[in-house]
Amino acid sequence: MALLEIDAIHVFYDKIEALKGISLAVEQRQIVTLVGGNGAGKSTTLRAVSGLLHPRQGTIRFDGRDLAGLGAHDIAATGLVQVPEGRRIFGRLTVAENLEMGAFTRRDRHAVAEDRDRMMRLFPRLRERLKQVAGTLSGGEQQMLATARALMARPRLLLMDEPSMGLAPMLVEQVFETIRTINAQGVTILLVEQNAPAALGIADHGYVLESGRIVLSGAGRELLDDERVRRAYLG
Amino acid sequence: MARMGAVDVALWGMRIGVVLVVVVGTIGTLIKGRYTAAQWFDFVMFGLTIGSIYAQIALGYTMVYGVLRLINFAHGDIVMTGAFAGYFVAAPLDRSGFLQNHPVPGMVAILVVAIATSTTIALLTERIAYRPFRRVVGLAPLICAIGVSFFLEQTFRGAFGSAVKSYPSPEWQRASFNVIGFNVPGIDVLVIGLALLFMLVLYLVVQRTRMGKAMRAVAEDGEAAALMGIDVNKVVVFTFTLGGVMAGIAGVFYAFVYKQVYFFMGFTPGIKAFGAAVLGGIGSIPGAMLGGFFLGLVESVGPSLFLDGIGIPAPYQLRDLIAFTLLIMVLIFRPQGILGERMAKKRA
Repeated sequence: MALLEIDAIHVFYDKIEALKGISLAVEQRQIVTLVGGNGAGKSTTLRAVSGLLHPRQGTIRFDGRDLAGLGAHDIAATGLVQVPEGRRIFGRLTVAENLEMGAFTRRDRHAVAEDRDRMMRLFPRLRERLKQVAGTLSGGEQQMLATARALMARPRLLLMDEPSMGLAPMLVEQVFETIRTINAQGVTILLVEQNAPAALGIADHGYVLESGRIVLSGAGRELLDDERVRRAYLG
Repeated sequence: MARMGAVDVALWGMRIGVVLVVVVGTIGTLIKGRYTAAQWFDFVMFGLTIGSIYAQIALGYTMVYGVLRLINFAHGDIVMTGAFAGYFVAAPLDRSGFLQNHPVPGMVAILVVAIATSTTIALLTERIAYRPFRRVVGLAPLICAIGVSFFLEQTFRGAFGSAVKSYPSPEWQRASFNVIGFNVPGIDVLVIGLALLFMLVLYLVVQRTRMGKAMRAVAEDGEAAALMGIDVNKVVVFTFTLGGVMAGIAGVFYAFVYKQVYFFMGFTPGIKAFGAAVLGGIGSIPGAMLGGFFLGLVESVGPSLFLDGIGIPAPYQLRDLIAFTLLIMVLIFRPQGILGERMAKKRA
């Protein structure tokens, strides 16, 4: 059984149907990516999984459990955590407090402290800035913090929405490196990206979205070589 | 240079007018020398006392605004419910002489009952009146809050009558100390001291505790907070609890200072404390404290200092005019307040 199973969900913004029956599966320990243009429904899919939007039809199952009716905070507590688009760190809280908020649902203080040390090793830049107010960090550092904050929850599935957006090319490479590292440590990842080549390059499986529908799916490498994908996204 | 429109001219006129009144009035008053140092000291002491009460009420406005972007118009009336509950404990304790002979347990009992009542009512209004409007945009939540305000006022009027009840005033409250020639009323010291203590505790709670940090996170980005597993409803309840506690304390103090309770008593301090919260920068906790003290000082010292010098008789009756002029000036010239950011930036 897949860790995350989305079965034919339809999501509406008022009367506009943003997702028109999307089905996908994320297997344990995979990196799965959703690619597609602006307004294809990538973020909407992640928002529906996280419980910020509620599908009118269809089901979302995480680890076999139907997520219908759960609030966003309940879903986060099940180990399904999102790094939202635009990072959305708490700019007026310190870096340390941001990390603490990531571990909000956890009561195991020792393990939380260990995880914080682990984050400091993964993102050494954050260590120097622990006491600093997060709003003063650079864009790249904010992305690190947003990722570290989500990892502090010990997610089993990490949803990442456009983690490379707005970053300098050098940092973009780093972001994809980090995603691979996190995945290698056992975290399953569902990644939404506009940077299709980079995303497909690291993904086990990819889905191509177009106006609320999945138009193509396959192994990351396969899609990267697919003529239609190349024409549409890789120029 | 760009041409100024009529509105700009009027605004500049207002600025210059207010500055003129303040400068000319102050110079005039000081030259006349109508007031003694002891009198000025009294004004300052009273300003700090009433300011500490405004500060506590302002905290309720600012925290709820921070978390929900709602102006809780009923907050002044929550203060009133605390004052009333305190009254029903204070009156019998005063008649039996207990309050006179045992001031500490007496005051603790009054405060505990007042806090319990105002907090309960604050939580009930949140649950019944505000939560259903949580996702509604526009003016409906604000109008709902105004409705709650009327509801509380008229309920208390119906239940306890519209007459003014005089708050007990035991002997020890009238005690005063002599500090280097100045007369310091004991009640002022008590009110300011306890207010500072409670505000320090509140500040530490918001800064250091898990829920306090969650509250600041929700104030900044509720959706991101929910994605981290923070239950926004719990944070809202926490926020209204803190506001309700401060309102209960402020209600008792306000009633002790003015020595009366009645159903409409929450309105004026409520609206002034809202002004204080705006003055300090709404959403900012240190701003609300600062704004409260500042407003208290200005309305206490201001009438004599600014108005006496330009020949206005009995200026002390105009202190509300001073307070609200200050609020209007802030709204026009610095809407973000002393410590606040521009509203538009908040959601960026």
